Amino acid sequence: MIASLLLAATGDFEPQEEFELPAWVPIHIGPLDMSINKAVVYLWVGAAVTVLVGIWVMRFGLSLRPGRRQTIGEGLYEAIQGQIVEGSLPSKGVHTWFPYVASLFLFIWILNLIGFIPLPISNEHFHVAGVALPTWGIYAATANLSVTLALALITFLATHVEGIHYNGVVRYFKSWVPQGAPKPLLALIVPLEVISQFMRLISLSVRLFANMLAGHMLILVMLGLIFIFESYAIAVIAVPVATAVYIFEVGIVVTIQAFVFALLSAIYIGGAIEPEH
Amino acid sequence: MNTLLAATTGDVADLGKAIAFGVGVGLGAVGAGIGIGNIFGSMIQAVARQPELRAELTGIQWLGFALTEAVVFYALLGGLLAYVLV
Repeated sequence: MIASLLLAATGDFEPQEEFELPAWVPIHIGPLDMSINKAVVYLWVGAAVTVLVGIWVMRFGLSLRPGRRQTIGEGLYEAIQGQIVEGSLPSKGVHTWFPYVASLFLFIWILNLIGFIPLPISNEHFHVAGVALPTWGIYAATANLSVTLALALITFLATHVEGIHYNGVVRYFKSWVPQGAPKPLLALIVPLEVISQFMRLISLSVRLFANMLAGHMLILVMLGLIFIFESYAIAVIAVPVATAVYIFEVGIVVTIQAFVFALLSAIYIGGAIEPEH
Repeated sequence: MNTLLAATTGDVADLGKAIAFGVGVGLGAVGAGIGIGNIFGSMIQAVARQPELRAELTGIQWLGFALTEAVVFYALLGGLLAYVLV
């Protein structure tokens, strides 16, 4: 898909190879392909960093007079509490779902950020004194639809499980149908409401995936222009533009996408726990 | 499949697909651009009228921004699918 999007370089520079995922350790369980590839390794790194950040800011040496470390932790907590949870999760659901929403935000944020740090996790290698070392490249695990879809599926399942848990099956599914709608219109409204529930799944996952993919592609294509036209003169324009995109992505998009994913998860779950009708 | 070479080799089908893809994503971007402009314009007005509401409005502003911006990517994805599948 991506291979055909980009202008294939006249040389052997292929920016889209950044997004190809050949299996490093093939694991096949029946029809399931559980192979370990670049995205899986990035997920491991992201999960490890997320856990370490959580432990570092919140799990030891807390005091009444907070130091810098504790201030960061409390600021993070307050930001999530004030901006994401408050107003979207009803108070009876906060104790269960605050941890989920907060870790969702932190995990996606860190995955996105790691995606913009060049790391030696790559399919390609270069040779130094006969030793093959992986090239340094940028790749975000969230620029992969499987990852974001899995995250969106957790939210999707949690939404309906909690909706049924708090309201009962009948009352929950009844809440999907707007009250006071004229009977003849119900045949039209009910399918629309059901579809919209599944559209959430798509919009939630595609928003994050496409944002991260587009950000990486933009940077890679901009730098790739140098190789496509085989002229360093292009670098005068390409490098500043790529830098600007990089700063925009790291400064704004990375945080906003994590924020929106967590906020929408909270809104969906909160809406299921306490339906408006 | 090579859009850059399509122009030189006279592969009209590929050329058409490339143009359609570009126009589709471009039109998607137009809509989202207007929407995002609207959001930030309204935000400026709102804060100018009631500066004390700034903190409350910021969250809503970014949510609206992200929801609107995502529209471009639906267009991009749709264009990509059409480009690859057709």
